[in-house]
Order: sequence, then C-alpha cells, then structure tokens
Amino acid sequence: MAARSESRAASTQGVGTTYFVALLAWLLPGAGHFYLGLRWRAAVFFSVVFASLTIGCLLGGELYEPARGQPLTSLAGFACMGSGVAYFVLQHVFDYSADVEGFGFEYGKAFILTAGLMNILLVLDVLDIGRGDKE
Amino acid sequence: MSHLGLMTVYALLTSVFFAFLWRRDRKEQIKLFAQLFVGLLAGAIAVGWLMYPFPSGPPAPIP
Repeated sequence: MAARSESRAASTQGVGTTYFVALLAWLLPGAGHFYLGLRWRAAVFFSVVFASLTIGCLLGGELYEPARGQPLTSLAGFACMGSGVAYFVLQHVFDYSADVEGFGFEYGKAFILTAGLMNILLVLDVLDIGRGDKE
Repeated sequence: MSHLGLMTVYALLTSVFFAFLWRRDRKEQIKLFAQLFVGLLAGAIAVGWLMYPFPSGPPAPIP
C-alpha cells in the first residue's frame, strides 16, 4: 500500500522529475526505484544487475564499445552502456579488457550484455511508475 | 565453474529480475521465479540433448 501511494506521488511530480528519476535509474541500477520509495525492489535490482556485471567481468567477457561502421558492435556497445556509470568506470578507470582466449569469454559476454539490458528495462519501468502507468 | 553452473547462475539472476519486475505480490513473484528458472534450465538441457546427435567441430583423425 505504501508503495502504491509513493508511486502515485511520484507520478504527480511532473515530467521533469520523471525523467530525472529515469536518469538516476540509468546511472546506478536500482537508484530510480529507490528514489520512488521502492527500497526493497531497488535493493534486489541493484544486486542482480551488479552481480551479473561482476560475474561477466570476472569471466573476462567483452565490454563492447560503439564502433563506426559496425552496427552490430555498436548495438552491443549501447547495450553494455545500459549499465550506467559502471560501464564508464570499467572502461576508463579500471581500463578493463576482455580475456578473449579465456574459458569464460562467451559466458562473460552474455552476463555483461544482460546486465546492461536489464538496467535499460529498469529505466523503462521507472518511467512507467513515474507516469502512473504502473505501481 | 562448469557450463552447467554458469547457466544455473544466469537463470537464477534472470528469473529473480523478471519476477520482481513483472509481479508485485510475493506469492506471484515466487511462482513466476520458479516458472522462469525451471523453464530456462530445463529448456537449455532439452536443447542440449536435441543437439546431441549433431557433431560439433571436425571429425577425429583416423589413427
């Protein structure tokens, strides 16, 4: 019940707030849901997305970057970017690189791509909740 | 970790995610989680067995 009234309150705050919350959701998995007062759900989403990304990196999976002239690689790059700040931290702070010949390379790719795509779904979920289409 | 282990972890994460994303009631979340988890694992094992008759890679050299 509290979640319903909180999500309704969020939906009356205006379009600007809704898109701000969606940006939060993209930057940090679960942050959008946390801002909307859905704390337990936020914790679960953060844990799942973070776990998927971590496992993918530990397996040495590919962290794609958009590449000119390579549409499929670019698509994968945008999917990986769905993870938010973590993507840029891995790329530019930790200088992450894939272990192409490693045993877990293919699985790692799947985990990393899934983490990004899951977070994109979370952004869409937050937009729906913010607009009052969902609770 | 083996392929089966990794596949199980992937199925677990995906099932938890979608159970929480698509359902609000606790019982319905658990039910959807179970359906997705079992479906993913059983489906993957079934597809693996379906592919079993077909060889992967070049044939072994004749000794």
